[in-house]
Amino acid sequence: MSVSSLATSRRTLLRAAGAGAVLLGLAGCKSAVDENKSTPAGASGAPKKGGTLQIGSLVDFTPALLFTQNSFTALARLVFNTLTSYDNDLRPQPQLAKSWQVAPDGTSVTFQLREGVKFHSGRPFTAEDVVFAVNNLKDPKRSAQLRATAAVVSDITVISPTELTLKLAHPVSNLFDLFEFMFITDRESVEDAVTGKKLIGTGPFVFKNWTPGASISFAKNPEYFVPERPYFDNVEVRIIPQADSLLSALRGKQIQLALGLSGRDIAPIKSDGQFAIQEFDTGGGAIYIGANVTVKPLDDKRVRQAISFAVDRDRILQQGLGGYGLASSAPWPKSSPAYSDATARRYPHDPARAKALLAEAGAANLDLPLAFLSTSSAVAQMIQFDLQQVGIKTTLEPLDPAKFQAQLISQTMPALWAGAHGFAQVHPSTLAVSAYPFNEAKNTSKFSDPRYTEIVQRAWRQADPDSAQAKAAYQDLSEVLLDQQFVIDLIVLANLHAATSNLQGVAQNEFTALNLDDAYLA
Amino acid sequence: MATETLTPGTPAPKTPEAAAPTAAKPRRVRNRYLRGLLSPRGLFGLALVGLIFAAGLAAPLLTSHDPTFQTADALRGPGSGDHVWGTDEIGRDLLSRLLYGIRTDLLIVAAAVPLGLLIGCSLALVATTHRAADVAVQRLFDLLLSFPGLILGLTVTAIMGPGKATIITVITIIEIPSFGRMLRGAILVHRDREYATAARVGGAGPLRLLTRHVLPNAADPVVVQIAVSMSIAVILEGAMSFIGIGVRPPDPSLGGILAEARPYLEDHPTYALGPLVVITALVVGLNLIAEALNRGARR
Amino acid sequence: MTGYLVRRLPSALGVLLLASFAIFLILRAVQGDPAETLAGSDPSPESVGAIRHELGLDRPLLTQYGAWIADVVRGDFGRSYIIGGSVNELLAQRLGNTVELTVGALVFTIALGLLFGVLGVTVKNRFGQTLLSAVNSVSLIVPAYVSGFLLVFVFAITWPVLPPGGHVSILSDPQIGFQYLLMPALVLALPPSAILARYVKDGLQQALGEDYARTAKSLGIPPRRILWRHALPNALPPVLTVLGMQVGVLLGGAVIIEAVFAWPGLGMLAEQAVTRRDYPVIQAVLLFLVVVYVVVQLLTDLAYALIDPRVRLG
Repeated sequence: MSVSSLATSRRTLLRAAGAGAVLLGLAGCKSAVDENKSTPAGASGAPKKGGTLQIGSLVDFTPALLFTQNSFTALARLVFNTLTSYDNDLRPQPQLAKSWQVAPDGTSVTFQLREGVKFHSGRPFTAEDVVFAVNNLKDPKRSAQLRATAAVVSDITVISPTELTLKLAHPVSNLFDLFEFMFITDRESVEDAVTGKKLIGTGPFVFKNWTPGASISFAKNPEYFVPERPYFDNVEVRIIPQADSLLSALRGKQIQLALGLSGRDIAPIKSDGQFAIQEFDTGGGAIYIGANVTVKPLDDKRVRQAISFAVDRDRILQQGLGGYGLASSAPWPKSSPAYSDATARRYPHDPARAKALLAEAGAANLDLPLAFLSTSSAVAQMIQFDLQQVGIKTTLEPLDPAKFQAQLISQTMPALWAGAHGFAQVHPSTLAVSAYPFNEAKNTSKFSDPRYTEIVQRAWRQADPDSAQAKAAYQDLSEVLLDQQFVIDLIVLANLHAATSNLQGVAQNEFTALNLDDAYLA
Repeated sequence: MATETLTPGTPAPKTPEAAAPTAAKPRRVRNRYLRGLLSPRGLFGLALVGLIFAAGLAAPLLTSHDPTFQTADALRGPGSGDHVWGTDEIGRDLLSRLLYGIRTDLLIVAAAVPLGLLIGCSLALVATTHRAADVAVQRLFDLLLSFPGLILGLTVTAIMGPGKATIITVITIIEIPSFGRMLRGAILVHRDREYATAARVGGAGPLRLLTRHVLPNAADPVVVQIAVSMSIAVILEGAMSFIGIGVRPPDPSLGGILAEARPYLEDHPTYALGPLVVITALVVGLNLIAEALNRGARR
Repeated sequence: MTGYLVRRLPSALGVLLLASFAIFLILRAVQGDPAETLAGSDPSPESVGAIRHELGLDRPLLTQYGAWIADVVRGDFGRSYIIGGSVNELLAQRLGNTVELTVGALVFTIALGLLFGVLGVTVKNRFGQTLLSAVNSVSLIVPAYVSGFLLVFVFAITWPVLPPGGHVSILSDPQIGFQYLLMPALVLALPPSAILARYVKDGLQQALGEDYARTAKSLGIPPRRILWRHALPNALPPVLTVLGMQVGVLLGGAVIIEAVFAWPGLGMLAEQAVTRRDYPVIQAVLLFLVVVYVVVQLLTDLAYALIDPRVRLG
């Protein structure tokens, strides 16, 4: 009966939808799901000018988080520029800064700025705007993750409207991470920017309007300082807060680029030639298990190492993340100067060794709470299962985003928690001074060790990030993290762009900000 | 308001008089309900609900798989290996999860419905004692009803954290006013009926009047409401899972499995089919029972 | 009726005030505050302190409540902490989307309700009647997410003619917007349309039994004409009242539909605001819903009075 009543109800629905389809037919067959067959797949040739790029995003713009790295930083680079931007080898390249000189001892840097650059408001961009940007990032209420690095800037001398010198309290190896991160915003309208009323920058697109929860639109900046760019006349962003609806919008070619989809979400289009999936190993962050080292027996590092051996990272990567990402026991993506295969594979899935380590530490009959973000339960359940196989029983405690964040900051996480951290994609010292789980002075794990502090400071206070000394310090940093395992890294996440295959030239910076300067639809 | 939409409800709204017999003798109460249930549709409803709940209770006998045991075989369809109904995205046996999921729902129903009944009816009794108490209780019901059920669920979950206890609390809160209002209305009607007045004149005290004469008759709509409430509990569990405030993983629940199946609707439709069929059958069955009880009471 | 309203109003306002205070206190009792959410990923505790001060969350609770209620009385719900923008605008925009869904559902409710109500009196054979009654029961009781799943499975996956979810405003792009609206509106309309169908059927049966209908039949006027020209108009007034009562139900029922179809209405706004502790937004949404409830409650009481024959006769 239940089946037959389902059938009858479906019949009614069919009839109703049939009526809808008829109406559609009358309206001239513009369909929200029909694929636009006229688009040639993967056509090549000279970049095409004009047109509108339609982007779909899972998350909305959060203006209050404008100066904080978050899941929507993606669109900031459309409106704003940075002083410099990294190439693939973390070497800074000119943006708003034309050239620069770092003092040999690393305690100052002088920038020559690009001339004739104008904000979208028409006001010329000058050295004062850089002064403002640095001071703005130092303000704790902006909650910029690179605040510690901005705070090293002790004094700024404006030499001319296009030249300035930043003096540093001490040399830092991640100085240009700051300039990759720091958007230059119009200082006169910054309060309107953090409430989402006005976004004024120097970037390729002008912010038109934002309807919270629905859409954001941008139009080409005709006075952009890069000649002949951007190609697109308009960029329209639609907020579609559900993975399958976002994917359906892409398949229906209503959007050409989908942001925020996970490896699992895109499975249905993986082998479809009409779509291209661009995978970035930077900016997705990394999944980790945090251990509160004040909870017995997690004060014993052998127990933490046992957990690291117990977890099957490859299965999490396959089942939990659709195979996109890097199973690794170290936080670094492959592009990081600190990456090595050896550190990534330090903790293979080895339940026997995990059990041996637990026995050695005398830890038996463990029953520990494991907190996780309620929105991502599959990974937490896999961790729970793997730990159970080596005799560590865990109780899952789902926390909503606000609670999770509160416990992370206030150091009130239970014995174990599963989360994600960022900031391993640039210079390794940025991770240790900017990502809260790793902070040597105060972190959620309540881990504190003079040796760790010494290594972090040594890795950070390098004048030349590429020197042999700096590299040795990064190696020590990896080793101490892998030995202590107060943060047990599992997977370096991939950041995925799912797009129609005719979308060309899309790039992103190290902090996932989308660069559409060279993008066009072939 | 949301609860009202979710409420399958008895057929077209009717006044308590319509639902209650004019002056049945308390002794025959059980027979009346039984007679209603023994109708073909009542029996069918009973069979559906009984079968599903029995399957849930007998879960350990019906499957040898642990509902939380994970394997490398993820997202398999029915009949793969020894997984009769396939596996979910992290390689757990779907049939086992479905059966144990029925158990979870059964537990929620068995806790929330009696609690809602008890508290709602107690409040209704208090309300009928005094005018001031009546106003206070009525406003309390208004306050509880004024929050859409799921938004209430979100708020309670933010306070208590997700889990079975939270779901039971939310469902109880939602069911208190429906039981309460129903009983209050029925008592008020029956208290002024001729037979009650006759008993009063005959020297029955207020308590005796209530327990021997008014309550047995006023209980009719409440008994029907029990079946309706059970189906609301099943529906709400699913709805709460859907907005991410369901039972704690890794425990399975009907709504939880359905919510987890959402991303795989395209590639693995059988994943969602199990909980869809079971939830629908339960809700249909419980409503057939409610209708049968209602008919029996009216006779 | 005016007297009745005047009598009900004070207690309705009491419920409102009580609810607003309850909302305010409950939110503050929940762990995790907006400042922590605003501090972004991997924040430092100083940042959180600075943001908390900036938002005025370090003031005494009663001061905060007083300031909020004073603004609300002036019609200003303040600014959203996290989602961004003015709460008034946010509320108006999301309410617009919910209203769009509700109106769509209302159209379906009327269409299906009339259709099945009329079928209820015109279909005479037993099988047809059983089928109709089964459809009616199932529409009434099947949970929205079950019917939603089935629709998505049929029309978005097996036979992909409609998008599985999302929203394009029907005002900005009627053609596309309509396709996004179709499934959620239908799902939302199922239970109230089943209720309406019963009322229509009962009303028609009653009207067809009246003297004029029997007279018309004896005069040889075709039954179809009697039904459409005479019985239906006579059956409509009580039906309209029932419909009015269902509007409130539709508005509230949108919460789960919005979750199933990713429809950015009030329900989704509430969900986002609660999980991120956007106090001004949650307070505004909850208060708004309580107001709607209280108003609908008042109207329903009035409507019951109107359709209750004893009131009509008396």
